[in-house]
Amino acid sequence: MALQEKYAELIQAAKNAGVTDLQVREQDNVLYIDGKTGDGAVKDSLWDVYNKIDPDFRAGDLILNIDASAAAGSQARVTTESSNLNIRKGPGTDQPIVGKAAHNSTVTVVSRANEQWSLVRTDKGEEGYAYTQYLTQL
Amino acid sequence: MKKTHLLSFVSAAALIAAIQFTSCKSKQSNEGADTATVKMDTPATTAPVTMATDDQLATGVKDATKDFPGVTATVDKGEITLTGNITRDKLPMLMMALNSLHPKKINNNLTINK
Repeated sequence: MALQEKYAELIQAAKNAGVTDLQVREQDNVLYIDGKTGDGAVKDSLWDVYNKIDPDFRAGDLILNIDASAAAGSQARVTTESSNLNIRKGPGTDQPIVGKAAHNSTVTVVSRANEQWSLVRTDKGEEGYAYTQYLTQL
Repeated sequence: MKKTHLLSFVSAAALIAAIQFTSCKSKQSNEGADTATVKMDTPATTAPVTMATDDQLATGVKDATKDFPGVTATVDKGEITLTGNITRDKLPMLMMALNSLHPKKINNNLTINK
């Protein structure tokens, strides 16, 4: 229970922000918080709270998994830092690059391959797999 | 002394009556409502934690650290250990990606530069 107290502000913030499927469990001195949100800003704000409680994420006592990725059938903005986003033949960085989605451009999320990779279609009609973390739902 | 004895006897009797009354009540409410009772006893917060295998983590870690050239990540028994260098502004992005892989734990031994 001690970790739930340490991260109480974070758990409360997740509840207040309407995070769905919220799961909070403590196991072997690690706290696991999972949940979903349709708003990338909510995920960012929860990570800010985490960084405030445990500066630079050094303690190794929390796994925070907030899924804010774009749902299948929705439009998403390419939110890389500045570079173009690789579109690959399959879900993995070992897969060949079949196209690029420009930074800040819009793509259509066709489906989710797994938690990390999404099948997308670019505005140029290129289709392939992109790293989900760089896609922000519109 | 006598008064105290009497008091404890009365409270004990009241307690027993209360317990019996409660158990009767719960027996009644349980009839034909097993599913509802189980659901109430199992809140969403006790679902088991998903843990990835080391093979799954190794693949995920490779993809997640691709854009962080100074970072080395190793996987052992469900734990991800980070060494190398990163700038503080990029650290949350890396940690978000690694936290979504279902590791057991993340040991952050990175040297953080401003």
